[in-house]
Amino acid sequence: MLYRIRHITRYQYVSPVSLAYNSACLLPRNTEYQTCLDHHLSISPKASVLAKRKDYFGNNTYNFCLEESHRELKVDIQSTVRTADVRLIDMDLDIGNTWEESLRLLHEARDETTLRAREFALDSSVIRANSELADYARPSFTQGRPLLSAVRDLTHRIYTDFAYDPGFTTVSTPLADVLKHRRGVCQDFAHLAIGCLRSLGFACRYISGYLETLPPPGQEKLVGSDASHAWFSVYSPQEGWFEFDPTNDNMPSQQHITTAWGRDYNDVAPLKGVIFEGGGAQTLSVSVDVQRLES
Amino acid sequence: MSQQQSQPTTVTDSAGEPLRYENSSGNDEALAPDGSLVAPWQQLLSRMEEIGSNGLADRTDKIKRILRDDGAIYNASGGSLVWGLDPLPIILTADQWRELELGLIERAQLLDFILKDLYGNQEIIRRGLVPPEVIYSHPGFIRACHHTHLPGKHQLILYAADLIRSPDGQIMVLGDRTQAPSGSGYALENRLVMQRVFPAQFRESGIRMLRGFFNTLRAQMVRLAPEKNLRNGEGPRVVILTPGAYSETFFEHAFLANYLGYPLVQGKDLTVRKGHVWMKTLDGLSRVDVILRRVDDNYCDPVELRGDSQLGVPGLLEVVRAGNVSVANPLGSGILEAGALMKYLPAISQHFFGKQLRLPSAPTYWCGDPDDLQYVIANLRQLRIKPAQHHFDSHAVYGSSLSEGDLNELSLAIQQNPNNYVAQEYVQPSYGPCWRNNSLQPRPFALRTFAVADDQGYQVMPGGLTRAAANARDQRISNQLGAISKDTWIQLAQGEEDLGAASSTSVLVNRTVDISLPSRVVENLFWVGRYAERSDMTIRLLRTVFMQINGANQLPPEAERQLLYSVTQLTMTYPGFMKAGSDVFKDPEKELLSVILDQERTGSVCSSLRAMLRSASEVREMLSSDTQRVMNDIDDELGQLHIQLRTGMASAPEESLDPLVTALLALGGLFNESMFRGMSWHFLEIGRGIEKIYQLATLMRSLLVVECQQEESNAVCVESILATTEGLTTFRRRFRNDASLYNVLATLMLDRTNPRSLIYQLEQIQRYLTTLPKNAITAPESPREQRALIEAISIVQLADLNQLAAINPTSAVRQQLDQLLVRLQELMEYMAGAISEVYFDHTAGPQQLLQNPWQID
Repeated sequence: MLYRIRHITRYQYVSPVSLAYNSACLLPRNTEYQTCLDHHLSISPKASVLAKRKDYFGNNTYNFCLEESHRELKVDIQSTVRTADVRLIDMDLDIGNTWEESLRLLHEARDETTLRAREFALDSSVIRANSELADYARPSFTQGRPLLSAVRDLTHRIYTDFAYDPGFTTVSTPLADVLKHRRGVCQDFAHLAIGCLRSLGFACRYISGYLETLPPPGQEKLVGSDASHAWFSVYSPQEGWFEFDPTNDNMPSQQHITTAWGRDYNDVAPLKGVIFEGGGAQTLSVSVDVQRLES
Repeated sequence: MSQQQSQPTTVTDSAGEPLRYENSSGNDEALAPDGSLVAPWQQLLSRMEEIGSNGLADRTDKIKRILRDDGAIYNASGGSLVWGLDPLPIILTADQWRELELGLIERAQLLDFILKDLYGNQEIIRRGLVPPEVIYSHPGFIRACHHTHLPGKHQLILYAADLIRSPDGQIMVLGDRTQAPSGSGYALENRLVMQRVFPAQFRESGIRMLRGFFNTLRAQMVRLAPEKNLRNGEGPRVVILTPGAYSETFFEHAFLANYLGYPLVQGKDLTVRKGHVWMKTLDGLSRVDVILRRVDDNYCDPVELRGDSQLGVPGLLEVVRAGNVSVANPLGSGILEAGALMKYLPAISQHFFGKQLRLPSAPTYWCGDPDDLQYVIANLRQLRIKPAQHHFDSHAVYGSSLSEGDLNELSLAIQQNPNNYVAQEYVQPSYGPCWRNNSLQPRPFALRTFAVADDQGYQVMPGGLTRAAANARDQRISNQLGAISKDTWIQLAQGEEDLGAASSTSVLVNRTVDISLPSRVVENLFWVGRYAERSDMTIRLLRTVFMQINGANQLPPEAERQLLYSVTQLTMTYPGFMKAGSDVFKDPEKELLSVILDQERTGSVCSSLRAMLRSASEVREMLSSDTQRVMNDIDDELGQLHIQLRTGMASAPEESLDPLVTALLALGGLFNESMFRGMSWHFLEIGRGIEKIYQLATLMRSLLVVECQQEESNAVCVESILATTEGLTTFRRRFRNDASLYNVLATLMLDRTNPRSLIYQLEQIQRYLTTLPKNAITAPESPREQRALIEAISIVQLADLNQLAAINPTSAVRQQLDQLLVRLQELMEYMAGAISEVYFDHTAGPQQLLQNPWQID
């Protein structure tokens, strides 16, 4: 598939901001399954310094500085991304290493990939392993079950047990609350799945990106109605990374477009920064369009 | 060296009384196995003996005095401690030192290699030499610093190691300090003090100098400057970044800044613009090329590191990344302090360099390793256990000091989260002689050594910071627990010349111009001036009031009331005596005491003086040591004041205030006599002038505007204002019996020979204002502060004293006088505001960008 994505972030301030430093993690990275063909970034007011780099996890990151007084910051990024149609969407998950074997290998194998994947098995700023999370995960991990099958089952259980409720959580809602109230949005479900798996000792990545949504039959798609999305991947030594989407109870397909990955949301927050003067109350609005150019 | 010494050793080859030294506790630096003194100690102690115990006691006092006058303190959690220095140094021979030096250099090189690797390819992880968890779960590993580089071949610029000698004689490392190593400034201060107190002993002992180390450091700072910043052949600007006056080792930051000749800045003094770091100075922004930082990694940049930090420079990391500023040590270097890493150093050294470490670490265990876990659980009692994620040893627990219950608890905690614990074998440090209670006593000690990168490799400071425990049995050697520092003397070898000291390396001088002070510094000096004068006038008035109300003659109630009002009005401690229907007048001393002592009351003597001391401590590096001493005296007097006034109120409270008046006079004298007439001085003097005028105007409004009913009361008011402003004697001499208000006003307002008169102070300010940098260049109009001043001078000069003295018959008030004084106060406030706006920094913030409250999918 070929997509054009437009993601506009707007901050409005009550009083003018004289100086701002920001970093943006908004441009889709290249992966095994996708290539970013072109992109265009526009920032208003004009940035005094703008630099692009690859961050520690290989994500595209922009740092920029605003030195003009402004009441509104607008970051508008457009990109064209081709996703490959060969994805393991229909793969048979009842093959491969058992979860017990995967866990043993993860901590014993000495190959570089596995050693470095262990970074993703550790606690991160918003995801801390604990016994409640492990307890929730355990029913999916029956003896001798292949890892991927167990993770798919966990994904399914999160989908069934948890209500999708955009009003309930914010970026700072702790995982314990999500687990307790059984509700949240895609980030929460991704964090939850990662927390469950890390509590059992597995390595997982948080993935941010987009999902193409289709309008109800017979209706026009509304501009700006799409949203950014989040899911996760799990590492199986000698087999690689496998992605799962607990919000939609599936494995990411051609309609999932990856922006970035890290240990959790904080590693890949789309826009963060510090502002001086003014500011006061801030309002933030985001609009996302994922437009399919070719099937 | 031996475990047991039975015979006390005495040194007898000198005139003084013998100094006895014995140690039955353990391995001792000074003693051979048979209990006799080893060579360098023999010589050192016999030199000390010539001084004798009384002499040593005297010099110990002298050391204390100098350290105090230098303001050498260490801010511990409970308050600040005066830095303690033992009169006896630790002495090492040239041979002992050479071996140690090689070990330190080798270790610095290894750590430098690891630092480059961790923020690059991570070979030590890829090759399985270090378990990934050791690095990846440590907060000192900062992913945002990936692929940042300093110019030159080293990343680790400053390195410090804490060393002890174990019972078997091996020197080992307890901890590596790689983030913002502290202590080199204290070591230098110790040395300077020792050279003053023991000049002959130092000279005769043939000791290596520390100067060379600091020269290398300066040369290295120059080398670190980004080449592209220096196109025009200018020298680089280096600054020292401090967390501020409340950080533990602020003394050292200020001391090093002065010694090295670098501005001392706080995060808020710097700003990132157009891709560079700039210092906010009086005359605008001035580019910074190298930052020698004493702020911890994670606090350096709220944009990419800890968002809640107020100590950093927003956007700094991106400037580092672009190579437009160099930070030493580089951000992220704290990872080398990860406790568990010590365990793997030998393997890394073996793998990449094919050699054993000359200078080993104390045996270290990481509980994430199954074998280590087993060992640690089985041997908790003889281990020192610390959280793997902390940098600091202060979190360490000594197994031997725990109860059975605590040990079990710790054991469980470790087994639940083994990755989070590191343990180290407790090694008994060797002892050395210390001067305690007028005798030589053995104390265990540790030595912090310092290395700095140069263009070849590393240069080690020939000396260091020794700290000896407070008690012979202490396991932990910490300043907080009363440990005392010692100078560390490294002997020159026979016939060796001290190359380090001789090499006056031609170091490029920092671009220093007087006006390139951070604006925060001048702001603080401005406030030092204002608070000093505010306190001064308050104390003088209180003294006068006490004398009047406790005087031999009963005051007319009307006059007493007027005087007490003036106290409340001058100090603005409302309601105070102004409270209607109040019974404060029955026992005015209670309220007066509160106006002196109550620190929580803004305007009280204590609160103003504390505010002055606070502003002064923010700019400690700008004050001479004499000024520092007077500040210390004021601090002491404040403590005394509480005791004196609370206990013996009845006996002349005004006398208790005298020492403060004297100290403030001394301060004024020092400002005039010992400060260079640079920008900082001008701001200080403008602050003092504004405050003097403002306070005098307040006092005049309190005591001269209202006409009392009785003539006697008016006389008391006039006498009090003249006494308070030091004009009484002169006034009496000049005007004899004519204390008419006309003459009083003339003295206080227009007398150019009276340094406290309004006109005198206004004209002083005028002189200073014209020297301020922005006044040289601006638009055709005079700047706002200048215009306010012109108006103030005019209304005072145009004053018609007869009219001002005239009383409105209906209200018994001198309305014109009051109006003039009110306007004068307004103008002073306006002027202070304008100066503050133009010269001081007012950047509000920083504030974090709101994060998206999920509205997604």
